[in-house]
Amino acid sequence: MASSPPASSLSVSGKSRSRALQRKAMDRLATVLSWCATFLVVFVLGSILWTLLKNGLPGLTAALFTRSMGAPGQGGGLANAIVGSILQTGLAILLGAPAGLMTGIYLAEYGSHSRLARAVRFVSDMLLSAPSILIGLFIYMALVAPLGHFSGFAGSVALAILAMPIMVRTTEDMLRLVPLSMREAGIALGAPKWRVILFICVRAARGGIITGVLLAIARVAGETAPLLFTSLGNSEWSLDMRRPMASLPVAIYQYAGSAYQDWMQQAWTGALLVTLGVLIINIVVRIGIRGGRT
Amino acid sequence: MNGEAASGTMQAGASGTPQVDEAARPLAIQVRNLDFYYGKTRALHNISLDFPERSVTGMIGPSGCGKSTLLRILNRMYDLYPGQRATGEVLYDGQNILAPGVDLNLLRSRIGMVFQKPTPFPMSIYDNIAFGIRLHERVSRSEMDGRVEDALRRVALWAEVKDRLQASATAMSGGQQQRLCIARTIATRPEIILLDEPTSALDPVSTARIEELLDELKGDFTIAIVTHNMQQAARCADQVAFFYLGELVEVDSTARMFTTPRESRTQDYITGRFG
Repeated sequence: MASSPPASSLSVSGKSRSRALQRKAMDRLATVLSWCATFLVVFVLGSILWTLLKNGLPGLTAALFTRSMGAPGQGGGLANAIVGSILQTGLAILLGAPAGLMTGIYLAEYGSHSRLARAVRFVSDMLLSAPSILIGLFIYMALVAPLGHFSGFAGSVALAILAMPIMVRTTEDMLRLVPLSMREAGIALGAPKWRVILFICVRAARGGIITGVLLAIARVAGETAPLLFTSLGNSEWSLDMRRPMASLPVAIYQYAGSAYQDWMQQAWTGALLVTLGVLIINIVVRIGIRGGRT
Repeated sequence: MNGEAASGTMQAGASGTPQVDEAARPLAIQVRNLDFYYGKTRALHNISLDFPERSVTGMIGPSGCGKSTLLRILNRMYDLYPGQRATGEVLYDGQNILAPGVDLNLLRSRIGMVFQKPTPFPMSIYDNIAFGIRLHERVSRSEMDGRVEDALRRVALWAEVKDRLQASATAMSGGQQQRLCIARTIATRPEIILLDEPTSALDPVSTARIEELLDELKGDFTIAIVTHNMQQAARCADQVAFFYLGELVEVDSTARMFTTPRESRTQDYITGRFG
């Protein structure tokens, strides 16, 4: 502070003292502003979580997981929506992961700086930021309208398209982190390129690649817009992907806009479930990343 | 400059190995009038150099002189990078390996390479060795066990790792990792081993162990080693080639290179006046 013993070579003239004070004041100001900004973000997140817990927890009953959605006042649950969400998200990842991972491998290992790779990278990044409702409308035009009915499968395809660019990006980025010397070492043993990629590079990057898949799951599991025009929603129990299918986000959308007390309660609880699910996936990812580094 | 220098009689390996007449040795690799380009930049100028069988050729010179470039031509590693181009001849086993149509995977299985930084693959110690063998041969489980053990014994790593063969190779120390990489290379039974500054990332003790290892390995393999370390070249090599600005200035037996080099540039570099 200002009272620290001045060394002879650092004796403080009036001018430099005022400059020091000015710097100190700026430092304080910046610190306070950073704290305020941090507090604001954490407050918003905390407030959302708190509201969800306060309103959602009372509806967390066994019946919610065992009964399908029902008319207001008849004591329905969300079982079909929960299962529908898991099925559609699961199929979406099954559809999207192979294409996403292989595109990522192409971009990192084969195409790299080629014109095609640059184009693919650009399109993939566009897709990453495309409004999700557009994807839903696209699948409506491509799959729902021609077949004449909504289906869980169409919902999965829409979610797969959303998930793909996330996996493309993470796979490419993670493979780029694998040192060139590792590839050269494989090649130097006489290994063909595909073997080096599959058994050395992908293996070295697998922690990051799996993280990308989990992030993609977390991203699409809470999507509503792409499902509105594709799987539509269904109040009855159904595991048939060819028919309309319920999902948590669509059920929340439908229930939250209703005027019935029990539906609104279930919308809160559904929202809590989606949030907890995404939270758990994110925590798993964090632990995975930490484990992968050692 | 002149390739004939390599055929000068060889009196003594400085490492105290029995005296060998290098002129009598058959040649494992003959480099003839080799030029190399990184894009438009010419990195090697008309190199001619012989690598006698079952002996150690040390390649020295200041950074950027082209010694690593030459090493990476010998197993056609430069092929990975578009824009890199070699002209001239590299004769190995009666064939010019720069010619089109050479089976590169087969070539690289016969001319192995060890890098500056240890490059263990992200798999177990056992699988690191088995990976290279599986590329080129079909061997039974028990034979594979034997091959892995044999390779690890040759690099004096067996005693240290025999109880944790399934442990990850990336958890080993740097010196162990480099010995593992050498084991991985010799496990595929190559004829030639190229080493690109193999000890520059290692501590003195690990370095000494690798140097001892080279001395043993040259009984069975032809070795070419790039090094920045004059003492290392003096200790390990049977003949030494000095490169400067993309040219081969001089090549001779280790003893003569370090006592009576013919070129003043060699003298200056060896005595530390530049480089």
